[in-house]
Parts: sequence; structure tokens; C-alpha cells
Amino acid sequence: MSNDILIITEHIDGKFSDISFEMVGKAKELAGALGGQAVAIVMGSGMDANVFASDATIYVDDANLAQFNPEAQGKVIEALVKEKSPRLVMFGWTATGMDLAAWLSARLGKPCAAYVKNISADGGAITANCQIYGGKMIAEVSLEGDMAIVAMLAGTSPAEAGQGSTAATQIASPVALDGLKTKFVEAIKPAAGDVDITAQTKLVSIGRGIGGKENVELAEELAKALGATVSASRPVIDAGWLPRTRQVGKSGLKVKPKLYLMLGISGAPEHLEGMSGAELIVAINTDKKAPIFNVAHYGANADLFEVAEAMLELL
Amino acid sequence: MLTTIEKIIFILMALTSAGFAIHGFKTIIDSVRKGRPAPELKNIPASLIKGAIAILLQQPIFKARRVLSTVHLGLFFGLITYAFVNLIDVLEGFISGFELTYGGKHFFATPNAFANGFNLVADLMSGALLFSITVMMVRRFVVKDKRLEYRDNVLLNPKVLAGAMGRDSATVGVFVVFHVIARLLGQAFRLTEGADPFMPIASSGAALLRPYVGSETGIHVAWWVSIAWVLYILPYITRSKHTHFTIGPVNFGLAKQNPRGRLDPAVPVGTKLDAGAKFLHDLSWKRVLDSYACVQCNRCQDVCPANFYGRPLSPSAIEVNKRYLIKEATFGAHPEKLLVPLTESVVTPEAVWSCTTCYACVRICPVGNEPMADIVDIRRRLLIDGGEIDSGVQTALQSLATNGNWMGKGKRLRGRWAKEMEMPVKNATEEPVETLWFVGDTASFDERVIPNTKLVAQIFQQAGMDFGIMYQQESNAGNDVRRVGEEGLFEQLVEQNTAAFEKSQFKNIVTTDPHSFNTLKNEYPQEFDVEHYTTVLAKLFDDGKLTVKNKLSGYKVTYHDPCYLGRYNGGFSAPRQVLQTLGVEFAEMPRNCENSFCCGAGGGQIWMGKVAPGERPAENRIKEALETLAQPPADEKNPSDKKLIFVVTCPKDMVMYSDAVKTTGNEGKIEVRDLIQLVAEGLGN
Amino acid sequence: MNIVVAIKHIPSIADDLPVKGNNIDFDSIDFVLNEFDEQSIEQAVLVKEAVGGTVTVVGVDMIGELDNVLHLALAKGADKAVKITGDDPAADSHTQAKWLSEAIKNMSANIIFAGVQASNDLDGQIGPMIAAHLDMPYIGGVSSVEVAGETATVNKEFAGGVGAKYAVSLPMVVGVQASSKPPRYAPVSKVRQVAQSATIEKVAPSGESSAGLTMKSMAAPVATGHAEMFTGSSKEVAAKVVELLKSKGLA
Repeated sequence: MSNDILIITEHIDGKFSDISFEMVGKAKELAGALGGQAVAIVMGSGMDANVFASDATIYVDDANLAQFNPEAQGKVIEALVKEKSPRLVMFGWTATGMDLAAWLSARLGKPCAAYVKNISADGGAITANCQIYGGKMIAEVSLEGDMAIVAMLAGTSPAEAGQGSTAATQIASPVALDGLKTKFVEAIKPAAGDVDITAQTKLVSIGRGIGGKENVELAEELAKALGATVSASRPVIDAGWLPRTRQVGKSGLKVKPKLYLMLGISGAPEHLEGMSGAELIVAINTDKKAPIFNVAHYGANADLFEVAEAMLELL
Repeated sequence: MLTTIEKIIFILMALTSAGFAIHGFKTIIDSVRKGRPAPELKNIPASLIKGAIAILLQQPIFKARRVLSTVHLGLFFGLITYAFVNLIDVLEGFISGFELTYGGKHFFATPNAFANGFNLVADLMSGALLFSITVMMVRRFVVKDKRLEYRDNVLLNPKVLAGAMGRDSATVGVFVVFHVIARLLGQAFRLTEGADPFMPIASSGAALLRPYVGSETGIHVAWWVSIAWVLYILPYITRSKHTHFTIGPVNFGLAKQNPRGRLDPAVPVGTKLDAGAKFLHDLSWKRVLDSYACVQCNRCQDVCPANFYGRPLSPSAIEVNKRYLIKEATFGAHPEKLLVPLTESVVTPEAVWSCTTCYACVRICPVGNEPMADIVDIRRRLLIDGGEIDSGVQTALQSLATNGNWMGKGKRLRGRWAKEMEMPVKNATEEPVETLWFVGDTASFDERVIPNTKLVAQIFQQAGMDFGIMYQQESNAGNDVRRVGEEGLFEQLVEQNTAAFEKSQFKNIVTTDPHSFNTLKNEYPQEFDVEHYTTVLAKLFDDGKLTVKNKLSGYKVTYHDPCYLGRYNGGFSAPRQVLQTLGVEFAEMPRNCENSFCCGAGGGQIWMGKVAPGERPAENRIKEALETLAQPPADEKNPSDKKLIFVVTCPKDMVMYSDAVKTTGNEGKIEVRDLIQLVAEGLGN
Repeated sequence: MNIVVAIKHIPSIADDLPVKGNNIDFDSIDFVLNEFDEQSIEQAVLVKEAVGGTVTVVGVDMIGELDNVLHLALAKGADKAVKITGDDPAADSHTQAKWLSEAIKNMSANIIFAGVQASNDLDGQIGPMIAAHLDMPYIGGVSSVEVAGETATVNKEFAGGVGAKYAVSLPMVVGVQASSKPPRYAPVSKVRQVAQSATIEKVAPSGESSAGLTMKSMAAPVATGHAEMFTGSSKEVAAKVVELLKSKGLA
């Protein structure tokens, strides 16, 4: 029984994700309040794990962990948790964390809170603020018991606070990883030959409000006139109106352009996660209650087609 | 005048011709009978007679193309006359000595007034026929009138694509020419005693043929050429679009008796068949008959907004494809063709889904065809079969099923606009009212239209009307749901609205939305006293409950008749009356009243949001309005020109035309306003 | 092949959510099917159409209105519907996952589908928890599933268009993000037909699992800021936007 926090870090193609650093930063804060240590857990093969500002880093090296494999990672995490009895196990609420956090909670019979936007500890009691119901509600919960599992949203802490060079202790997998039912077959790369929106300084981003594939052209004309590139929210991509390389958001790409001009995007949390760091956010939406107006710098309650066409005449 | 051998040959030929003709008609009738039941027709003889009268007066055809319709008079009356003429010709052949030249004096004791009358009519009609058929042939083959063609993207039966219709027209055209000329010659040859004043054309012919007049050979040859063509053409027309001659009037007389705005049931009453149509014989017998009445005049194509917009829909192509399909299956001995789905042989799914259900094609058709009904039936089956349907339609239907509106808004938000009013709007489900106002989705939820909705409420209050709305108990009335083919969902909406109606107490219903108006009036099981708000406004002005304080003489306006109020339900006069009361300067667009041109939002189009290249129907309509309202530019002599207004009385029109004004770059030149806005101004509010 | 789809009936977020005490006021809201479950049902039916078998849809009946959802699933191609008579609108994911696992235990499931997440997954998603209870591998965020024999091949989506293909020995639990084809439309008449003729199996809830969370409060987020709004006609707005961009050297 310790007061430590185990942070389950994640990486893809050998690169650690920003959220891993954010979580380490947050965990350090919490660990101080709890009187324990922030321990970063890295699972992989042939990695440099000396990159965190954690109090300690455990690097589990195994060929089966080279690529993300939820079954393999689950087994390793379960073994580590049983061995170390931490106070808190911290996952990112991401494609990888979402496969593991709730699973672990049911496995161990320990509490779990997801969509965590903020977390604090007070005298051993852990309170989490969770952003649920599509971002419409914040639930404040306290996690009971001696061990809890949390899944963190992006942006709960600056990534810099988690970056460092703590020397990792490399170990072999605490549990045999042969006989796995899940086998990684191959990576699926994004469609080649398209623009990298994360490298663009100006983006014209379209949402469901664009109405149809035929109307994407208008956005492209406006982008061209502004020297910008077109990006989009998930519904536009799912509908097939633009390739996935243009998707901004939680399950897409994170962008930090100088200009993010949004046409017909309501501003759901998953999208905000992808662009809230943009320098200048201008939003056009016919719904005056759209959540984006709480985040954008400038906005207008207007028809995106009319505004876009009028802007084209002026540019 | 015929020899015995000739008579025998004629009888044999006539029997053969009759045999083929009867077989041809029987094949057609068999095909028609294989169609599904149609709504019952009451008092058929009366309908047929009524239809016959309208056709004799040539009223249906004159709705469009006045000049060509006038030419058609020659064909129509000419061919009717020739039925009798041919009969007399046969009698002249069989009864020795019987001929009617010179008043029939060679047969009767004295020249007979009846015979003279007959000769004159026959002679002049021959001229009319020749003139008319020549005009039509020149139109088709020399001038090559584009209206007789189909656009490349319209699905056409391969035979049609290969030019079968041109050959068909040419055959009948040549028949008329040869037959009539031969007959005239035959008459000319008999004019041995100089001109007959009652046969002017034949007499001119006789003058030209002077040396040969009286030639027996001439008379016989002319007779045979004339009659042989008839014997050939009678069975021919059963395989031609010229079944139109016989079936056109019959089809017109058997036209549906239900109100225009009431769709036929999805499943024929008393049967358990699958709704809608996949194959030809899933259509009702009336739809099959339609294809034989059609002569491809393409008036329907001219007025179709989807066709105008470049979509692959042509109502006329639907009819011709059906007829060729049946022909191949029956005469062509390829019955397996009937097992090909309609969406592959008659009309493509994209075409089916581009229909706005405006009814213009049905209204204009001179022979009572209903291509729109085929389209709705095909949609019904496509939905049930789980074929791919437009994602916009799917989203709208899912929202309608869950929330009772197509916009994805929560039910509770429906009456929110009313809660923002200064004077509260009664909830008809909680307290009795005299008038129930059925508001409709667009007017309740669309931010661009809500200001007009509030104006209506304000003015009703001003006029002292006792009215209320059903707030969140109101669901979409279901008009467009039905036209998209979702009968099950329509039934569900009817049930939901009925439950709300039963909670409420009211005497009559008023609605601001023509689509809701149409279905509440014509398709709901209850027999409501329902009016469109323009009727109510007109009455309020008449009764003095509203009085105009400012005459709006600075406005020059035109009025767009919405399809579901105007063409479907005849609601033309009330809005015009109100405009007159308001004192605006009014100009009527060429396409007005029943001939109004649809904005393009109906039939689910507003859910699909398809953008095609080419001019949108709504844009074309704005241009028509501007031309109608054109006034000389303002200068010193005429310092103030009037403000141009395009008046609408439907929330969807408001949305579509406001958009069109912008996309045609006419912002500032003309403004789209709902009638209620003008009323509010006129009342001095 | 026995295909099971575990669904979640969740509060609708179409309107604002009223609060009562420290949780949502469950009496004044509508419940709807989790949007990811629509994808999940479609993916299950597609697998059935490809390799044969039966699709059983099972869910916890939170407020006694699950029948409509189950009828819709049957109209879309599911073969059997089972509802766990929970009647507790506040039942959390842990509780639901446990009840569902107990019900699914008797179904000899070869593959189980669940929506990747739901907007009320305060304590995590039911998919991974069912996998834990039934000791099956889990992969979530899946956008296509193919089954051949005893192996399922799934495409898992990561951020930024990157993905990975996995081959998993059945039985397994799949967390569906998107079906390989958009969900088909089930005409209301078909749903009604189903509603007349179908029988929904009722199962009593069994098993306990606690989320281990104490609710302290539930409130709408306080907006920390608001955009400076441009007003006027679209032309005026456009002019103001262009002026703003030009002033910042962005146009």
C-alpha cells in the first residue's frame, strides 16, 4: 500500500505523446499532496525512457510491447499494480488509455473516473472534475478506497512540467507475454501526398454546417484567398467529404496555427482538444448558443456561406 | 364501286387488320389489368363524359404552348372527323353507286344537305389535317424543337435512344399525309362535273388533274392507297405512342377523383402487398395506363423544376420507358424484362430522389398522367428495401421519429419562440381555444423565420382571435415524410398529432405552413376545418377586425404561389385580396397560380441539400420576378421608384428565395418578404 | 456464430440537462440510444451478413423505455433482443457492465460489440469492463471488423489518421467507433411490424459492481470567456473579419 501514482505513458512510432508529459506533470503535483511518488510507466521495446520529470520511471522492455497491444499492456499493468499497490493509476483518455482504464477497474474492483479535467488531493481524499455529457456537465466526484484509476483529458497540465530526464529502471515484463490472443498485424498510415495541417499557420476549418461535399469547394476558395489550408471536424471526415489527414480534434490532429477560422463547427470538447491553443480563433455559426463562442476570440452569429462569399469578394 | 375480288381482298385485309388491332389492344388491356388496384373510382360513366367534354373543348392542352395547341386542333378534330370519313369511304366502296360528291345526287334523288355538310367538313378537315401534320413534322424533323428531346443524363430505354420515337412519329406522319392526300385525290377523280362548292380542296385538286378526272383506275388506286394505310395503321398504333389517340381521352376520364393533395395509399386497400413499387406491375393499373396515354409532348418536362435544374429526372421519360418496357415484354416476347427493377429500366434512383413533388407535371398533362405518383411509389419501396437513401434524408427521418421535427432540435424547444412573446400565447392542449394554430417545424425552429412567426401571433392577438398552439405536443404534420415514401413514420406522426388534438379543444385549425395545410386538410383521418393563414387574414380584413392604417403604395410587389397552397389546393385569391387591401402596386408573374414554378424545397429536397451545377429553380424565379417588376430607372422626372418585393406565404419559400436573391447578386434590388410582414407594416405596427 | 451487441440507453444531450441534487434530474430527461451503439449494431449485422450467425442485442432497461430501441435494432437486422430490467436511471457503467456480463455469460458469444464510449461514461465504458468480467481481449476505437473462422481482424484508429490492424482470437469484445458502412435506415413501418411480432426476452439483473465514486456535484461548466461578437449583415460581418485579419497581418 503506497501513496504513489503510476502514470501509464503512451507512445506511437517511438515518440511519446504530449498527454504523457502532461500527466507526469499533474501527477507530480498530486503526489506531493498525497505524500508519495510520481512513477512513470513506459512499455515498449528498445526505447529511450529517460525523458520524464517523474520521481521514478519504470521501463518494461519486451518485444511484444513494441506496438500498442491492449492485451499485453493490460497484463503488464495489472501485474505492476498488484506488485506496487499504488494510490492512483493514471491513464490518458485517449485511443490507448480508453482500452485499458475501465478494463483495469473491473479487473481489480477499484474505482474509476474518466473524462477527468481536473484532479486534486486533500488529506488523502482524491477529487476529480469530469467533463461528461458532451461537455455540457462537469461532475465533481470523490474516489473512494485505497486505490483509484483515473483517465485524464488532454491539457490538464502543461507538457513542459512533465519533461525531464529521470533515469528509467529497465525491467523485463513481470508477466509472461506469450500466448497472447491479440496480435498486431500492421500499421495503417494516413493517406500519403496530402497536406500536413499541423504545419500550417492558417487554417479554415469546416464542420457539419458545410452541408455537403459540393460545398467544400467554397471553403477551399476562401482558404486559397487567405493563403490558408482547409481542415475539418470529425463529422465532415466521417462523411467522407475530406480525407482523414484534415481532421482536427481528439481523434484527429492537434493544431496550433496563428489563425483558426471556423465555419459551422459547434465546438464540442473533442474538437476543442485539437485546436484550443490556436492564436486567433474566429468562429461563424448560426447557433448563437454554440459552445465554440465560449472559446473563440471573435465570433459571429451568421450564415457561413454568406460570410465566406462576402469575404471572397473583399480579399 | 369495288369489284367482287376487291371486296373479298378488302374483307380479308380488314379482318387481318382487325385481328392484329384487337390483339394489340388486348395485350395492352392485359398489361393494364396486371397492375395493382387503384383507389376506387365513383360513377365512371359520369367521369368519362365529363372528361370527354373537357377534351372536346381542348381545355387541358391549352394550359401550355398555345400556338402548338391550336395546331393540335387540326389533328384532333381532323382525326375524329376521319373516323366517320373512313366509314363512308368503305361504304362508297361496298355499296355500288353510293357516293356523296355533288351532295350525293348520284345516289339520292336530289342533292342532300346532309351530304353537302359532310363533304364540306371532310374536305376542310383534310386541309386542316395536312396543315397540322406538316407543321408538326417540320417542327420535329426540320426545326428539331429541343423540347422534344431528353437531356443526356436522363435514363432512356435503348430503343428510344436509338431513335425509335422519331421513326414512330415519321410513320404516323407519313400515314396521315398519304392517307389524306390519297383520299382527296380519290374525291378529285370523282369530280367529273366540275368543282363542287362543298369540296373546295378536292375541287382544286380536280382542276389540277383535269385530264384524269373520271378515271376509274384513279378512283380505285386512290381508294386502296387511302384505306390500306388505315388498315396498316390501326394495328400499328397499338405498338406506338399513338395509342394516345384512343387511350388519352380514356385515361383523362379515369383520372383520380381524390383531392390533388392526397397521395394514393402505399398499400392498396384490402391487400397485404409490400408498399410501393419495385417492378412494373407493382404500380397501379392506372400508372400502366398512363404510359399508353402519353404521346411524349414533354409539357411535363418543361415545367419540372428538377429537370430545369439539370437533375436526371424527366417525367416524360418515365412514361416512355414504361411503355417500351411493356412493349418488349409483351410484343417483343421478352417477359423477363418485367423482372428488371424500375430503378434500372425506367428511372434512376438519383432521378427519383430529385423530385420536389410540386405536382406541376400532373397538372399540366393533357391526358391525365401522374408521373409524380410513380416516383412516390418507387421511393416507398426503396425505403422499405433498405436501399441506400440520401444521408440527409436519413438524418431528417431519424430526427422526425425521435423528436417530431426534422431539424434535430429537442421537442421542448418547439414553443420557445412563443414564450418570448410579450403577450402569452395560449397552450391549446391545456385550455380550450377557438382556433388551433398548427405552426410547423420551419416556422417554429428556423431562426430566419421565427420573426415572421411572432408577427403572425402578434397580428392574431391584435385582431382579437382566440387561438393557441400545441407547444411541444405538436409534431411535424408529415406531408413531406409521406412524399419521401416513409408511410410508417407518417402514421406515427399522425398518431402523435391526433393524441395532441384529442387533448385540445378547438373549432378550427389555421396553419402558416402550406405543407402542413395540405396534409391536415387532405390526408388526416379527421375532417378538420383547416385554413391557411392567408384565408384567415383576408377574412379578418373583410370583417374589419384588422384595418390598414398605411397604404403600402411605395411597394411594387409580385406574389409567388406556393405549390401546396396554390396548385394543390386552389388557394390563390386570399393572398391577392390581402395585397390589394394593403394598397401595393401588384404585378403578376407569367408563371402564376396553378402554373407557379416550385422553389425546389419540397419532396425532401430541403433535407438533401444537393447542389448541382446550373441555375437553381429559385434563382430562375427571382429573375422572372425582376423582369415582371421591371421599372424604368429613377431620374428627375420620376424621382422615386418603388421598392420591389417578392411576396411569399410559405416558410420554406422564405428560406429558398432569400438565398436565391443573394446567390443571383440581387441583394438590394429586390427583397423577399412574407405577406405577414407587409400586413404588419400596413397595420401601422 | 453468436454475435452479441451490448447497448447503452443514455440521457439525451440534445437539450440542456436539468440538475437535481448532485446528479442529473433523470425524471425530466429523454433517454436515447448511445450514438456509437448505432454503429455497433450495424457492424454486428454486417458481420452476420458476411459469415452467418445470429445477432443478439442486449441492454439494461434504465427507465422502462428500451423496447423501442430494441425493436429498431431488430428491424435493422438483429435476430434477438434481451433487456435487463434494471429500472434505475442512475445505474452507472460498472453496474450495467456487470449485469450485462452475467446475461451474456449464457449466450456462448463468439464476438461481442459495444460502442467505444458513451457521453455518460463517468466511470468508464461498458465495453472494456465486459471484457474484463468475461476474460476476453478488448480492442476499442475500431472502424472495421472482419471475421474468418476463429479470428477477427479489426482496424483500430489512433489520432491523426494513424491506425493499426490487429488479428484477435475469438471470443473478443470490440469497442466500435464507426461501422465499416454507415448505419442503414430502418423504415418505421418495419419497426412497427417488428414491434407487433417480436418478443423481447426479459432478464433480471444479477451481480454487483460498484463504480466507487461519490457524487459531490453536477453542474454546467461556467464559461470562462466569450468571443467578441461581430454583428450586422453577413456582408458587414465579412468586412469586419477581413479587417481583423488584415490588422494582424493574416490576410
